[in-house]
Amino acid sequence: MIGFRLAAQRPPDAQRVTDTVVMRFDHVYEVDPALMTEHTPQQDLPAWDTHRIVDSRWEHLAWMHDHFADSVLSGEELLAEIEAEKKEGEP
Amino acid sequence: MAVTSLSEGLVDELRGICGHDYVFTGRSARFNRARVPAPFPVHRWDEFVPDAVVLPRAAEQVSEVVKLANRHRVPIVPRAGGTGLTDGAVPLNGGILVDVKLMNEIKDIDLVDRTVTVGPGINMLKLNEELRRHGVIYPDNPASYPCSLVGGRIGTSGWSLIGGRYGHTRDLVISFQIVLPTGEIIEVGDGGGRKVRKSSTGFQLKHLFMGHQGTLGIVTEATLELVPRPEAEFSAFFAYPDYDTAWRSTGALAKSGIATLAGVVLFDERKLAYLRRDDEAYIPQPPEVRSVVATAMYGNADEVRVGAKRLMRIGVETGGNYLGDEISHGDWAARHDRYATPLHGRLRSGQVVPMSWHCEDAAIPYSALPKVREEWHAIADSLMERFEMFDDWGMFAYTNGPYKPWGDYLTEIDIGIWEMQWDDESWAAWVQAKKDISAVALRYGGSITACHGASREGEVDLVPDELGGGWEVMKKVKKALDPHNVMNPGKYLLDEAYEEGES
Repeated sequence: MIGFRLAAQRPPDAQRVTDTVVMRFDHVYEVDPALMTEHTPQQDLPAWDTHRIVDSRWEHLAWMHDHFADSVLSGEELLAEIEAEKKEGEP
Repeated sequence: MAVTSLSEGLVDELRGICGHDYVFTGRSARFNRARVPAPFPVHRWDEFVPDAVVLPRAAEQVSEVVKLANRHRVPIVPRAGGTGLTDGAVPLNGGILVDVKLMNEIKDIDLVDRTVTVGPGINMLKLNEELRRHGVIYPDNPASYPCSLVGGRIGTSGWSLIGGRYGHTRDLVISFQIVLPTGEIIEVGDGGGRKVRKSSTGFQLKHLFMGHQGTLGIVTEATLELVPRPEAEFSAFFAYPDYDTAWRSTGALAKSGIATLAGVVLFDERKLAYLRRDDEAYIPQPPEVRSVVATAMYGNADEVRVGAKRLMRIGVETGGNYLGDEISHGDWAARHDRYATPLHGRLRSGQVVPMSWHCEDAAIPYSALPKVREEWHAIADSLMERFEMFDDWGMFAYTNGPYKPWGDYLTEIDIGIWEMQWDDESWAAWVQAKKDISAVALRYGGSITACHGASREGEVDLVPDELGGGWEVMKKVKKALDPHNVMNPGKYLLDEAYEEGES
């Protein structure tokens, strides 16, 4: 059996993002645990499990893009092109 | 443990038709097929349990089960994925539940005439995994894409997220085989050819047998449209400082005439407030982002690219601020699968509580969206003042026209419900709220539902108002096709067709 020691995988302390949201890892948001005490009791989550969940989510979204089309176009690139064309057209 | 009010003789007859291993009378098989994701009075669960469940594997078995139900005058209720947001698959009077999940085969892929013929129990995601190797796709794309089934999509006449480009279920199902309420097996489509998209022969029966919520028969096979697998996808999400600017931008984007545009979605201010609670795309947005518009395009790469550039110009020129590729790509991909979203409701104290998602939908003309939004939120506010178990999760408006994404919108208000709190008082208040929401839709020239069906308690009371003389025709059709009222009785107020004085 592969086990882990929570002490070795304890996530960093939470930083507050908004009145109701905290963050322990960059761009990984959590509902403030203080709001999840009465009806949705929390459990200790080791860092690797948080990363696994987040990675799985991104994998799922990438899979869904690939499921529907061969490629995904970038709006940022198109906006840059539009801006460049505007500048070219300026006197 | 078998607990059923059906006679043992009838159950034996079902086993003779479907096979011993395909008839279930135990509690778990029956209770698990009682409800759907639509709001369900869990405090009265017992009232909606079928007496027996059968899983047929052939149209002939379905036909024999239906004939048996007629001989014994026993209700029969069809069920596919059980993912509907109205109550089509919920038994209101017990009886035999026909679960079509085992009829999930792909029978024919015709790359010459561009069709695929399937059983009603297949799911679109699994079908498209198979079609991919042939370079084609079946583009029926509901929020339940990974879990709803073709048979249910026909039974509800479903709506597709990318219907502005490819059409909705009614446009994508070319023809189908259906077992009538008396057991005959017929084919319906446009005319008689199973693979014909347009015919002027006879009545257009395909539409009659779509969206009936299981009251007019059970689909046993369907022939579906195939389109080229898109080379490219493009999604762009824009942010706005207020709803009105976003609403005007939505109109401009939707009527842009870009052929590859598959849909436009308007998020209102309450939706943004809701998403800021726990959605990674919206938590970091600054407070001045109060409304969002999402767009998506599919097609050949060169065509999508040109169209996308035009779309980006329109979005920015009408006041939108592009939210970036990460949010646009990520949130769009998530929209194919809304049933997997964990739902956190909030009590007044701010405490998180697990709630079920309820989506009240209507078809609303573009011009009426702002007023309908105000009135629907007022109804939700009134409900929330009385009962803490309800939580307004905001509104979306999706382009609703097939092939032409303008004109009217699938408009939804999402309301979280803490279902463990249901009692008779809160259920009655909820049913009244649904009725009020539907009345607003009709008052502004809309339809009670664009997508889910209108057979649930509350809204169903207004179906005769919406349909006028058509409602009388509906009852006559029901009685003519189902003389003993065995096919999903109690739905859509159609029991009225059998009351004394109805001819």
